[in-house]
Amino acid sequence: MATLELKNVHAKVAEEGGEQILEGVDLEIPSGEIHALMGPNGSGKSTTSKIIAGHPAYDVTEGEVLLHLEEGDFDDVAELPEDARTWDLLELEPNERAALGIYLGFQYPAEIEGVTLVNFLRTALNAKLEERDELLFGEDEEAEEDDEGYETSPMEGPADEGEVGVAEFQELLSEKMEALDMDESFATRYLNAGFSGGEKKQNEVLQAAILEPSIAVLDEIDSGLDIDRLQDVAKGINALRDEQDTGILQITHYQRILDYVEPDRVHIMLDGEVVMEGDAELAEKLEDKGYDWVRDQVYETA
Amino acid sequence: MSTQLHQDISEETVRQLADEHDEPEWLLQTRLDALDALEDLDYPSVIETPGRKWTNLEDLDFEALVDPLTQTEQKDQVGPEDVEVASFHEALQDDDLAELVEEHFGSIVDPQQNRLTALSTALFTTGTVVYVPAGVDAEDVKIRTSMTSRSLFNYTLVVTESNSSVTILERQDTSDDAEAVDDGRYYSGVVEVDAGENSYVQYGSLQDFDEDTYNYTVKRGDATTYSTVDWIEGNLGSRLTKTSVSTELNGDSSETKIVGAFFGHDGQHFDLDSKVWHRGEHTTADLVTRGVIDDDARSVYEGVQDVGEDAWDTSSYQRENTLMLSDESEADASPKLIINNHDTEASHSATVGQVDEETLFYMENRGVPEQLATDMLVEGFFVPVLEEVEVEELREDLQTRIHERLQ
Ligand SMILES: Nc1ncnc2c1ncn2[C@@H]1O[C@H](COP(=O)(O)OP(=O)(O)O)[C@@H](O)[C@H]1O
Ligand SMILES: [Mg+2]
Repeated sequence: MATLELKNVHAKVAEEGGEQILEGVDLEIPSGEIHALMGPNGSGKSTTSKIIAGHPAYDVTEGEVLLHLEEGDFDDVAELPEDARTWDLLELEPNERAALGIYLGFQYPAEIEGVTLVNFLRTALNAKLEERDELLFGEDEEAEEDDEGYETSPMEGPADEGEVGVAEFQELLSEKMEALDMDESFATRYLNAGFSGGEKKQNEVLQAAILEPSIAVLDEIDSGLDIDRLQDVAKGINALRDEQDTGILQITHYQRILDYVEPDRVHIMLDGEVVMEGDAELAEKLEDKGYDWVRDQVYETA
Repeated sequence: MSTQLHQDISEETVRQLADEHDEPEWLLQTRLDALDALEDLDYPSVIETPGRKWTNLEDLDFEALVDPLTQTEQKDQVGPEDVEVASFHEALQDDDLAELVEEHFGSIVDPQQNRLTALSTALFTTGTVVYVPAGVDAEDVKIRTSMTSRSLFNYTLVVTESNSSVTILERQDTSDDAEAVDDGRYYSGVVEVDAGENSYVQYGSLQDFDEDTYNYTVKRGDATTYSTVDWIEGNLGSRLTKTSVSTELNGDSSETKIVGAFFGHDGQHFDLDSKVWHRGEHTTADLVTRGVIDDDARSVYEGVQDVGEDAWDTSSYQRENTLMLSDESEADASPKLIINNHDTEASHSATVGQVDEETLFYMENRGVPEQLATDMLVEGFFVPVLEEVEVEELREDLQTRIHERLQ
């Protein structure tokens, strides 16, 4: 079982005199559970997600972001080395964090012209697997030699297919797209270019399904979705948990998606801190009473 | 203008060049006239942006660069059977083609347009004539010019008759067998395209000289009624390149696309201009250029859409994007729109920027390391221009060279 642990995380914007945004965030997300992170606009939810993923715009000034791994977290890794069980994520590059199973579903996914979804995802999956093995078992000689030349060009022969070959990947992709009720034509379209808001969100869930993260942080994956798409996306999120044992941190404003993705825990954030925690009922209470109620509760008791 | 031209750039030299190839009198006279005019002509205009002139052609040491009597190359000139693809001097030995050359030579690119076209006209020793008879559809005419000497002056003429079509790939590079030079090479190329009524020409070029070469190229097309002249302008090589690619949309309902792709690195310098003159009615132009520069390379682009007084119902679009991969690289781009007839639908835009940080972060978050992510973005960036290329070999070679340059 993998666990993502944030301990007393303080963070500021990474510039001279940058604004302090997080004031001591504590969170623990184990795999196989769905956690909701709620809070009013500007409370620091997106910043929290970006810090987990390693966005260069923020500096962590205090606290820790740890990933704990256990034997069996990676289907295809038989034995997890003793020294590869706890990772200080703040020491790692974003792609290294991804390799260990951290995934961030973006509120505003990037549009990448000229790179097809299928090409991007297969490249990502292979790069991820290669990097993971390097992190877990150290760089072997072959990997070192190859380091210079990742080959992605269609002109290069099958020598650089990577661990997951074209045909095998195609099959995997078709299967996941079908499960999400996505049209197959998306595979050969340029990544997110000209996708509708809803299609982009669906695509974020698809990518998670392919990359099989240990922990997926989904930032407002529910915003701008009609009810049909919301249900597809919710189905996808539940499948991540049920089929891949992914731990999910679901960032949202609204109760709406929680009707379809029932959270095990709910965390409420205010002014850069997690101020209230509870089970699914807390989200319903919040829907009723609003954030002012939270504010009153917190500042009264304080 | 302190430049001294090479001592061999003389009437005697020009007569010798014409003589060696048994050239007709009219051509000798055109060459001599160009030579005569040389000293009084200006260098080609280069792009200037506020406070800056990017390219100083007059500083080139033509004395050292140009050696008119020893121009050598390796050449391929091939095409399908029903098109005539001849070397320039072969064409002059063929009665029909000789007449064609006399009629068209210098009619689209004025030999005395500037000092460097005049120099080219006086001294050129090699060239290609492509003639597409009426009604013929031809694909994949291929011309390759590999320089082996210090300097080379090249000339290309394409004439299409009515209702014909042709796709052409012209490559220029430096041969592996080229003589070694200390202070650079000079290449000069002039291309004229005369498109007959309702004909179609796509002229693609891939410039891949060694990085000691100074390259000056002028290409111009004359599009008559219902004809299309499309250019693909690929620039990868050379130390310095100054190119001008343009189309005169003289005929009603004529069209053009000027598509550019460049990738500069190290100390390369590209000065690229695209220009279209809308003169007939119902004409359409689409100018699209994408370029990447790395290290301390520089690029400057200017695109001009000139809509004449009588150019009713004009459509004219222009987009340019330059991507800088290093902080030391420099780039500028200016799209210009001159409208003298307001029955025009037009747009123009240009951007110069670096790889988007948010996009990189997104890709890294999916497991793609930064360098690989950047490479994918660069290759993807060129896709819209590559999609315009009809000659498969050109598209694939551009793609391969871009990929190689990223390694
Ligand atoms: N890169 C940044 N530069 C400056 N201020 C920022 C930056 N990122 C976030 N902030 C500020 O930090 C606060 C929290 O933002 P955010 O984490 O996006 O909140 P939420 O996702 O909860 O709406 C806001 O006041 C926001 O303006
Ligand atoms: Mg947010």
